[in-house]
Amino acid sequence: MSETPTPAANSPIVQLQGVSKIYALGKVEVPALLDIDLDIAAGEFTVIAGPSGSGKTTMLNLIGCVDVATAGRVVVDGHDTGELAERQLTRLRLERLGFIFQSFNLVSVLDAFQNVEFPLLLQGGISKSERRERVMDLLRKVGIHEHAHHRPNELSGGQRQRVAIARALVTRPRIVLADEPTANLDSKTGYHIIDLMKQLNDDEGTTFIFSTHDPKVMSRAGRLVELIDGRVADDRVPDAADRAMVPEAPTAHA
Amino acid sequence: MFRTLLGIALRNLLASKVKTVVVGGILTFGTVLVLLGASLLTTLDISMAESLVGSVAGHMQISSANGKDKLVLFPSPIDGTEIGNLENFPTLRKRIEAMDEVRAVVPQGFDVAFVFGGNLLDVKLEELRKAHDGKTERYQPVRNHIRRIIEMLSVDLKNVEALTDKEKGDKELLAGIADVRKAAEPAFWADFDENYAERLEFLENKVARMAIGEDMIPIRYMGTDTRRFAKEFSRFEIVDGQAIPEGQRGFLFAKFYYEEVVKHKTARRLDKIRDRLAEGFTFNDAKVSEWRRQNISQYKEITYQLDTPATKIVRQALQSELATKKDDIIELVKDFMDLDADNFAARHKLFYDVIAPHLMLYRIPIGSTMTIRGFSKSGYATSVNVKVYGTFRFRSLEKSMLAGAVNVMDVMSFRDLYGMMTADREAELEKMQQNSGIALVKREEAEDALFGGEGDDAEDAPAAATATGFDEFSGIDMSAGAEGYREALLDRVYNQGDIDGGVVRNAAVILHKRADIARVTEKIMAISDAEGLDLQVMDWREASGMIGKFMGVIYMVLIVFIGGIFGVALFIINNSTVMATIERTREIGTMRAIGAQRNMVLTMFLIESVFLGAVFGIVGAIIGGLLIALLNSVGIPAFNDTLVFLFAGPRLHPIMEVWHVVVAIGLVLMVTGLSTIHPAWLATRVSPVVAMGEGDS
Repeated sequence: MSETPTPAANSPIVQLQGVSKIYALGKVEVPALLDIDLDIAAGEFTVIAGPSGSGKTTMLNLIGCVDVATAGRVVVDGHDTGELAERQLTRLRLERLGFIFQSFNLVSVLDAFQNVEFPLLLQGGISKSERRERVMDLLRKVGIHEHAHHRPNELSGGQRQRVAIARALVTRPRIVLADEPTANLDSKTGYHIIDLMKQLNDDEGTTFIFSTHDPKVMSRAGRLVELIDGRVADDRVPDAADRAMVPEAPTAHA
Repeated sequence: MFRTLLGIALRNLLASKVKTVVVGGILTFGTVLVLLGASLLTTLDISMAESLVGSVAGHMQISSANGKDKLVLFPSPIDGTEIGNLENFPTLRKRIEAMDEVRAVVPQGFDVAFVFGGNLLDVKLEELRKAHDGKTERYQPVRNHIRRIIEMLSVDLKNVEALTDKEKGDKELLAGIADVRKAAEPAFWADFDENYAERLEFLENKVARMAIGEDMIPIRYMGTDTRRFAKEFSRFEIVDGQAIPEGQRGFLFAKFYYEEVVKHKTARRLDKIRDRLAEGFTFNDAKVSEWRRQNISQYKEITYQLDTPATKIVRQALQSELATKKDDIIELVKDFMDLDADNFAARHKLFYDVIAPHLMLYRIPIGSTMTIRGFSKSGYATSVNVKVYGTFRFRSLEKSMLAGAVNVMDVMSFRDLYGMMTADREAELEKMQQNSGIALVKREEAEDALFGGEGDDAEDAPAAATATGFDEFSGIDMSAGAEGYREALLDRVYNQGDIDGGVVRNAAVILHKRADIARVTEKIMAISDAEGLDLQVMDWREASGMIGKFMGVIYMVLIVFIGGIFGVALFIINNSTVMATIERTREIGTMRAIGAQRNMVLTMFLIESVFLGAVFGIVGAIIGGLLIALLNSVGIPAFNDTLVFLFAGPRLHPIMEVWHVVVAIGLVLMVTGLSTIHPAWLATRVSPVVAMGEGDS
C-alpha cells in the first residue's frame, strides 16, 4: 500500500468516530458498541478492558478491519475502512496490522518458523534469505528460536503465543491487535507475554491494542480503555491504585 | 508460497489418514480402471484391426451407395442382401491404386451357396458305375461294400418299421423300407452282375435315398481375385493343398470350416476331445463326455464305410486293442469308442493309423471338383463346378469361427453362381443352344435352364437343381455339351482384365502402413462426387457391423464403470472436503485475518485436491502399469470364438501407451478438482472474524 497517505506524526493512528456495531440475532438487534469516539496514537500500548460482552472483541474486530461498523467512521492508519473493498481491507490487514489471538491460531501443520514466515509469503516479493533473517530474528526476540522447527502441538501454550507474536510482528505492522492474548495461559506465562509485548512496543515503536479482563495485565498497560455495555466507561493511564488492586493470583476467567 | 501450500496439502493428507486412505483407495482404483480400460480398448482396437484388416475387410470397404442394404461383413456377410454393384471396377481400381497411401484394391463378393454333402451310398454307386464301365478290379470289392451297407441299413430300418403304423404311417417311408429289404436279400445279389443295369437303377432310384449322410452343406464364400487376395491380406495362408493357380477358377475351404463341417464326424469329435483334454479338461467335462457318447452311438459313421476287407483289418486291430474275442464289428467299434483318460491317446492314434485310411475322412476331398449350388440375384437356381485346391486360414485366427466361416472362391465362379452374365456364360449359352437345337431362348429361361443344374437337356434343367453327388465321383461325361464345356472352364486361365472386368459387389482397400484412413476416404469420396460414381466408403470398424457394436458395448460398460467409480469419488471427496472446511474454519479465518486473500484460500484447497489426485493418480498409474505389464506377459485368454477373433489370436496382450496414463491421471485430477470446487468456494466465504475471540463478541 505504497500509495497510502502517511498520517502526520502526531495524528492518531486509529480513530473511531461515532462508531456503533449492532448484530442482528434473528429479529432481535443486539448492540455491541454504541456511539464510540476513540483516538489511539501511534506507539501507544493500549488495553481494552471490560467484562464479558462489553464489546472488547467487537472493537478489536473493527480496528482490525475484519468487520465493518454499522454506523460511524473507523480510520486505521489513515484509511477510512468503510470506504475500502474487501480485497483492500485484506491488503490493509496484511501490510499494516498484526494479529495475536486468544487461542494462538497457528497453522497446525506448519512448524514455528513456517507459521511466522507465512505472512511474508502472503506479501510476496521478499527473498528467501531475507525472510529467513527476519523470521529468525523475531523468533530470537520472542525467545523461541530453538524451537523454530517444532510444530505447534510440540510447543507449550506460552511458546505458541510467542510464535503468534512473532508472526504478528514479522511484517513490521503499524498496529498489533491482540484479543485476550493471555486468556489461555497460566498467569505467570501471561505476564511474560505481556512483558514481551511491552518490550517490543518500546523497542520497535509498534502500536499495541489488546483486550483483557485480567487486572494485573491491565496494570501493565500505558493506557486503559474500559468498556461497559458497549460504551467507553473509562479512559485513563493506569496508576498506583490499579497496580494496588491487583491481587496475587489472577482473577478467574469469565 | 506454492511450496508452503504444497507442504500444507501434504501434511493435511497425512494428518487425516482415514480420509486419505478411503479417498486415495477410490482414486487409485479409478485410475487403475481407466488405465486398464484404455489399454484394453486400444489393444482391442489394434487386434481387431489386425483381424479384420488382415482377413476379410481390408482397411476400408467400398461399395455402391445405391444398394438397398448396407454392406456388413459380420457376423455373416450379406446373406442375400442388396448392396448394389460397383460400376466400372477396372477404372475405379486404377484410380484408387494411384493414390500414394493405397497398396491395393481387391474385388469381393459375399454370398451363400450349398454343396450336397455325401450320401455314402450315392458315392459308392458312382464308384461302382465307374469301375464297371472302366472294367477295373475295383468292381467286385465296391459291389460287396454296397451289399454290406444295404444289409446294415436293412437291419437298422427294421426298428423304424416297427415304430411306424402300417395303416396311417408314411407310405413312402414304408415302401422305401420294403425296397431296402428287397435289396438286402441274397437273391438280389445272386444274379446282380447279370442284371447289372436294372439292379443299379433300382439301387440308385429306390434305395439310395434311404441311406444316411445326405445333407446340404451351406457354403459361405467370398468371390475374389484369389491371387491378389492371398497376396494383400497379411494373415492369409494356405494350410493344406495349394493356392488356386493364377487366373484359374478354384475354391479354398477355410480350414476351420473344413474341419468342423466337412471332416468325418467321428474323427472330428476325436480331434475335439484331444484339443479339449489338452486345455486341461477331463472326461468329466460336459462337452467331452457328450462327444464321447456321440462317438459310441454314431458307430455307423464308421461301420457303413468299411468294406469287407477293411472290416477284417479293423476287426483284427480292435480285437487286439480291446483284448477281446468279440466278432461283431459294431460291438467292437462301440467298445473302442468307450474312451477314458487312460486309453484315449492310444485309441486316437489307432483310429488314425488303422481305421481312418478306410474312411472318407473328408466328404469333399482336396483336389476334387464339387458342384456348388446357389440362387442367383433374381432367384433362379444356379450351379457351378469348382475344384477344391486346398484349405487356408488367417494366421492366429485358426480357432475363430468368425474368421473361419468364410471360404474363398474365384470371382469368375462367383459371378456365375451369383447369376451375373459373363463372357463365359454367354459362350456357354451359345453352345447349349447349338447342342440342344434351340435357336431362340429367352434369357431368363436360358439362365434357369443352364445354371439350374447339370442337365444336358435344357428342358429338364430346372429339376436338376436337386441332383446329388460330387463330380469327382462321377465319370465326367465329356459328350454332354454344357457339362463338358464346364469341365473345360476349370482349366481356363483368365487375365486380369477378365477378373476385374465383371461385376464386383464390393472391394477391400488395403493401405500402406500408417496411412490415414480418413484422408483416403476423403480422396475416394472426392472422386466419387466428381464423377457421379455414388460410392460408399466405410472403414473396417463400420464395415465390421456386429463387431463394431461389440466394441461399442465394451466401451459403454467401461464408461459406466468408470463413471460410477468417479461418481462415488466425487461424492466422497466433496463430502470429506466440506467436512475439512468446517474443521478448518478457524485456520482459514486466521489466514484471512492475517491478510490472505480469498484467492489464496481457493488455491490452497485446489492444490490440496490436485495433490491428492496427483499422488493417487500416480499410485494408480503405477499399479495399473504393473497390472498391464503382467497381463501383457501372461495374456488374457480368449474364452470363446468371438474373443479369439477380437483378440486376433488365442490371447490378448494388452499394451500401455503414454496417452492412457495422461488420460487416467487427467481424469483423476478433473474429478478431484471438480469435487473440491464447492467446498473450496465455501472456504473462501469463511469470515476472518471467526479467528477472533472465543464466543466473546
